[in-house]
Amino acid sequence: MSRRGLIAWLLAGAAWAQDARQIVEEAQRRSRADSERYEGTLEVIDARGRKNLKRWIYLRVGSHGNSKAVIRFTEPPEVRGVALLIINHPERASDQWMWTPATQRERRIAIQDRSTRFFGTDFSFEDLEERDVNQYDYRMIGEDEVEGALCWKIESRPRKTRASQYTHSLLWIRKENYTFARIENYVGRELVRRAHYREVQNVQGIWTPRLIEMHDIRRNSRTLLRLEKLQYNVPLKESEFTLQALRRGS
Amino acid sequence: MLLARLSWAYLKKHRLRWALTIAGVALGVAVLVAMRLANQAVLSSFQRTVQGIAGRTQLQVHAGDLGFPEEVLERVQALPEVAAAAPVIEAALDTGLPGQGYLLVVGVDMTGDRSIRDYEFDSGEEAILDDPLVFLAQPDSIIVTREFAERNGLGVGSRIPLGTAQGTRWFTVRGIMRPGGLSQAFGGNLAVMDVYALQYVLGRGRRFDRIDVALREGISLEQGERALRQALGPGFEIEPPSARGRHFEAILRSFSLTLNITSLFAVLVGMFLIYNSFSVAVTQRRAEIGILRALGADRSTIRRLFLSEAAVAGLVGALAGAAAGWLMAQWVASYVGRLMQEAYGVVQNVEGAPADWRLLVGGAGVGVLASVVAAWIPARAAARVDPVLALQKGRHQVLSAGEYRVRRWLAGVAAGGAALLLTAGRSPAWFYAGYVLIVLAALWLTPALARGLARGLRPLLAWLRPVEGGLAVDSLLQAPRRTSATVAALMLSLAMVVGFGGVARSIYDSLVEWVETTLNPDLFVTPNAEIANRTYVVPAELGAEVERVPGVRQVQLVRSARVPYQGVPVLLVAADVAKLARTVRRRPIEGDPEDMHRRTAAGEATIVSESFARLRGLRVGDVVELPAPKGLLRLPIAGIVRDYSDQQGTLLIDRALYRTWWDDDTVNVIRVYLAPGASAAEVKRAILEQCGRGRRLFVLANEEVRRYIFRLADQWFGMTYNQIAVAILVAVLGVVNTLTVSITDRRRELGLLLAVGGLRPQVRRTIWMEALAIGLIGLLLGLALGAVNLYYSLEMTRRDLAGLSLDYVFPASLAAWLIPVILGAAFLAALGPAAAAVRGSPAEALEYE
Repeated sequence: MSRRGLIAWLLAGAAWAQDARQIVEEAQRRSRADSERYEGTLEVIDARGRKNLKRWIYLRVGSHGNSKAVIRFTEPPEVRGVALLIINHPERASDQWMWTPATQRERRIAIQDRSTRFFGTDFSFEDLEERDVNQYDYRMIGEDEVEGALCWKIESRPRKTRASQYTHSLLWIRKENYTFARIENYVGRELVRRAHYREVQNVQGIWTPRLIEMHDIRRNSRTLLRLEKLQYNVPLKESEFTLQALRRGS
Repeated sequence: MLLARLSWAYLKKHRLRWALTIAGVALGVAVLVAMRLANQAVLSSFQRTVQGIAGRTQLQVHAGDLGFPEEVLERVQALPEVAAAAPVIEAALDTGLPGQGYLLVVGVDMTGDRSIRDYEFDSGEEAILDDPLVFLAQPDSIIVTREFAERNGLGVGSRIPLGTAQGTRWFTVRGIMRPGGLSQAFGGNLAVMDVYALQYVLGRGRRFDRIDVALREGISLEQGERALRQALGPGFEIEPPSARGRHFEAILRSFSLTLNITSLFAVLVGMFLIYNSFSVAVTQRRAEIGILRALGADRSTIRRLFLSEAAVAGLVGALAGAAAGWLMAQWVASYVGRLMQEAYGVVQNVEGAPADWRLLVGGAGVGVLASVVAAWIPARAAARVDPVLALQKGRHQVLSAGEYRVRRWLAGVAAGGAALLLTAGRSPAWFYAGYVLIVLAALWLTPALARGLARGLRPLLAWLRPVEGGLAVDSLLQAPRRTSATVAALMLSLAMVVGFGGVARSIYDSLVEWVETTLNPDLFVTPNAEIANRTYVVPAELGAEVERVPGVRQVQLVRSARVPYQGVPVLLVAADVAKLARTVRRRPIEGDPEDMHRRTAAGEATIVSESFARLRGLRVGDVVELPAPKGLLRLPIAGIVRDYSDQQGTLLIDRALYRTWWDDDTVNVIRVYLAPGASAAEVKRAILEQCGRGRRLFVLANEEVRRYIFRLADQWFGMTYNQIAVAILVAVLGVVNTLTVSITDRRRELGLLLAVGGLRPQVRRTIWMEALAIGLIGLLLGLALGAVNLYYSLEMTRRDLAGLSLDYVFPASLAAWLIPVILGAAFLAALGPAAAAVRGSPAEALEYE
C-alpha cells in the first residue's frame, strides 16, 4: 500500500500561495519521488482492544498517479508470501492483482465497492487511491492547530465526475512542511473516518509522516500504519512490477 | 333426517364396507397430497437455496454446468451498468462427517463478494473473517453455518474433511455464520470458500460457474440484461436468479409428470372404490329404496341421500387422506431428493415436506368432490329404482336384447372413430380423444364379450363340477349388468397394469440395448463416485497416463455436462467421436451411421438423442444452435440415436470442437478398453496405483456401471410398480364387491338350493367357481385391452413424456404372472362371500323377501 496514496490528495499547493488548491498542489509536488521502498507495520485495534498485526515490504516505481507498486506480506505466517501488484492510472481506478503462494496463482482484485474496508483495516479502498487534485473543489476554512502544529484547514468536495463514498472531507495541512496533520471524512454531517499523520521526518529531502492512524468512527476501531526503513529514489526495475515477477517472488 | 336414520343404520351394519370406501378416498387423497407436497418440497428447497445464495444478485451470467473462463468476469465488471459482479462456483461435496452427507460449498471472491451477499458471523476472529487476506492466503479456509457447526460440534479452528479432486483434504473452520439469509440455503448444510481455492479443490481450472451481478442504481433489469448480452454475445445465459428454479423444474419435468400421473391414478382408484361401494350399497338397499319410494319419497330425495352419504364418506376419507398424505410426503420428498441426486447429479437437501394448508385443503376438497362424482351414477341408479322391480330380486341385473344391440353399435362407432383419429389425426387432442373412445368401446362391448366368454367357459366348468359349474355360469349369464361391471373394473385395472408394465419393460429392454451397445468399455475412470455426478473433473492428460497402464488397449475421453438449449438444460457430451464410432455399435434412428460419425468427428455436425429431436420436432439436417462461451455454435444434426443419458436430450460433439468453443480441456469420464486377455481387476488396481495418487479417482467396472444404471431404473420405476400393485388391489376389491352383491341378490336362490338338498360345500364351490370365472373373463379382456392400452401408453411416452420411441413388446411374462395372481385373488375374494352364503339357515334366506 502506498503511503503516498494515503496522503497524496492533500499534498499540493505552492509555499507562497495561500489559495487552498495551490496548497494542496504544492503538498503533492513536495512529496514527489521516482521510487520508494519501506517496511510497513499495520496494526488493527478493534473496539474490544484486540490487536491484529501485519508486516509487509513495499516497493514503488513511477511518479504520482502513474506508478506501480508491489506489497509483499511477511507477517503473520498465515499471509507470508502473499503479494499485491497495484498499477495506478492517472485517469481511472487502479488495477490490482493478488498472488497467493498456497494455490500458486494470481487473481485480479476488482474493487467494485470502493467503500469496502482494505483487508480488514480501517482504511477503505478509496482512502488508498492516488487522487487527482483536479477532481476536487477546495475551500479554505481557516487556520487551526493540530497537536501543536499550525495548519491550514481546507474543505475538499468531490466534483460531480468523481464518485466518492464521502460527501466532503476536512484537511489539515501543516504550514511548516506541507504535510498532512489530519483528515476527517464525512457522509452528510456524520464524521465516518479520521486520519492522523504523525512522526513527521525528513527522509532524503522529503518530509514524511512515519505513522498514520486511521480511526473508523462507526466501528470504533483504529489502524496504525508505521513506515520503517523508508527510502526514496531507490534503483528499481519496471520488470519487478509484473505478474511474472509476482509469481517469481514467491 | 334420512341420512341420520337410514344411512347410519346401514353404516353400522356394514362397517367394513364403509371403512373400505373411506379408505379408498383416503388413499386417493393421500397419494395426491403426498406427491404434490413432495414435489413442492423439492422445488421450494431448491428455490430456498437459490434465493439464500443469491443475496442482492439481480442477474446471473452462466453457460450451463460447464462454466466459462475467468476472463469473462473482467468483461462484466467493466460495464458501466454493473455495480458489482462476483464470480461463483457451487458444488455439493461429500463431508465425510457421519450422517451429514453433502455440504453445499459456495466459492466466492471475498474481496468483492460483500457487495452482493451479507456475511454475518457468529463467532471467530472478526479480524480474520473481515480480512480476506488471511482467508484467501489459506486455501483450507472454510466458513460454515451455525446450524452445521452445532450439528457436528464444530467451532472456529475445527477441521472437517471434504472430498476434493486431490482426494480427501482437511479444511479449517475460520468462521461461523449466523442463521438467516445465506445460512438458510441447502438446509443449513452450507459452507463458503474462496472461489479460487474451490477451483483447485474441484480440479476445475480457471473457470467459474457463474457471475452474480448487481446493477447500478437506476439501471433496470432489462437495461442490464441488454448491456450484458451486447458485451458477452449469445453464448451466455443472462437471467435473474429465479430462472434457476425454472431450469430445475425442466430437469424434473418427466419425474413431475410421473408424479402427476400417479396422483391422478390414485384419485381414479379412490373414485372407483367409491363407485363400487355405492353400487353395492344401492343393490343391497334396493328393497329399502323401493319402500321409501312407495312411501312417497321422490327421486331427488333418494339421490340426495346417496350423494350426502358419499360427501360424508368423502370428507372423512379426505381428512384422513390429507393427514396421511402429509406423513407420506416426508418419505416421498427424501426419496425424490435421493433420486434427483443419483439420476440427475443434482444434489438436493430436502428437509421433509412442510404442511401447505392450501394444498391440504385443496386435496381434501378433491377427495370430497371425487367421492360425490363417483357416487353420482349409483345415486342416479338408486333414484331410478322402480318400487315394483325393487322387490323382484335379480330383475334389475338383466340386459335386454335391444340394450345389447345398442351397446354393440356404440362400441363399433367408438372403435371406428378411434381408428380414424389415430390414422388421420395429427394433434395430441385427437390422439387422446381416440384413446378415450377406445376405452369407451371396450366398456360398451364388455357385457356382450363377458356373456360370450361365460358361455364359452360353461363346458370347462361343467366338466370340472357339473352342478356347481353350471350354476356358476348361469349366475353370470343371468345378471349381465353385475357381471359386466366387475369384469369391466377388472379389465380396466389389468389394462392399466399391462400398460404400465409394458412401458416399463420396453424402456428396460431399450436400456439394456443402449447399455450393451454404448456403455461397453471394460472400465470407467472418473473423479466422481457416481457416474451421473459431474462435480469433479480431471485434466485430459490423465487419459494418456491411463493409456500407459499395462493391459489398457484404448482410452476415450469424455466431458459431459448440462448446457442450456432454448432455456432448457440438455446434456452435452464431448467425446473422441472417431474412436467412439469404432467401439459403439448403435444403429441410428435417422441418419447414416458412417456419415454421422465422420461429420461429427470432423466437428461439422452433431449426433443427438431421440428424445432431444422428438421433444423439439427436429430431424436430420436441422441446425442446432448451441450457446458456448465463444459464441453461438451452429451444428447440423447428422444422426439421431437412442440415448438415455438425459431425459431432456443429449447432444454428442467432438472433444476438439468442445475445446475450441468452451476453452476447456478437462474430462469427467475416461472410457477404458482392455487389451485381449487383460484382467479388469488387475488393470483397475494398476490404474489406481499409478494414476490415483494425490487424486480423487474411481475406477468402475462395466458391471458396476450397469448395476448403477439398472438400480436407477428400478428406482425410477418404483412408482410404476406401486401403481401396478394398486391396480391389482383394485381388481381384487372389485371381485369381492361383485361377489358380495351376487350373494345378496341370490340369497333366496341359494337358500332354496340348500332347502332342496343342496350341500353347503356345493354352494361354496358354486361361488368359488363364479369368482374364478369372473377372474378369468376379466383377465382375458384385461389382457386384450392392455395390448391396446400399451400401444397408446408407448405413444404417450414418445409424444409427450420423454420423446422416446419404444419398441412394442407385449409383457408376456407379466401377463403369465397375472394369471395365477388374479385367479388366486378371485378365489380368495370368494372365500368370505361363500362362507356368508352358507352361514345362515335356508329358512332365513327364504324369509328374506
